[in-house]
Amino acid sequence: MLVFTRKLNEAIIIGDGIEIRVLRVGDGSVRIGVTAPGDVKVHRQEIYQLISAANASAATTEHATVERAAERLRSRLSITNAG
Amino acid sequence: MQPELSIETRFGSYPADHGSVVTVADGLPGFECCRRFVVVTGPTLQPFNCLQGLDESRPSFLTLDPRSAVAGYAMELPAADRERLEVVDGDALLWLALVRLDGDRILVNLRAPVVINARRMIGVQLITPESPYSTEHVLSLD
Repeated sequence: MLVFTRKLNEAIIIGDGIEIRVLRVGDGSVRIGVTAPGDVKVHRQEIYQLISAANASAATTEHATVERAAERLRSRLSITNAG
Repeated sequence: MQPELSIETRFGSYPADHGSVVTVADGLPGFECCRRFVVVTGPTLQPFNCLQGLDESRPSFLTLDPRSAVAGYAMELPAADRERLEVVDGDALLWLALVRLDGDRILVNLRAPVVINARRMIGVQLITPESPYSTEHVLSLD
């Protein structure tokens, strides 16, 4: 890992056109500004990990349980449509 | 008339047309190496769809349109994702919430739906910093 010391309003540049700037240093937190091209996705790590974990557990759904769930859902939807 | 493909999923085999491959440029979180998907369904699967990956581990995701699953579901498409999907006015967008089954419970990820622009066959999974929706919304069948 590359480690930098940055002062307020100083930045680092990564590759072509990605800039990470220190905007505010507070008590226990740092406010960071990221400038990046539109095709570069920037996410908070914990959000990305939350979605990643949800995707991983969704991918384990077993065939055996699916058709019954689909049937229950179809009967609910037909009741909703009729009502 | 293009010949049909038979797509193997965790939930059985389903037909798909050639040309029905959706590209997700960055993959889905946790499945970044899988970039190509098809969306298939069949009589025993409906109203679910299967979002089937064609690369790497070939993940199968059971999905449901969040707008039909939950009354009043409204998630705005962020501008950056709209751009990624190359959306122009009038494009039909397919919304797919990933589903997990836990015993009798149907858990729907309303927070991070996959959105597909059918005209361009491009998809993205919406990853927003904040959302009123859960990754494990319990679908009420009452």
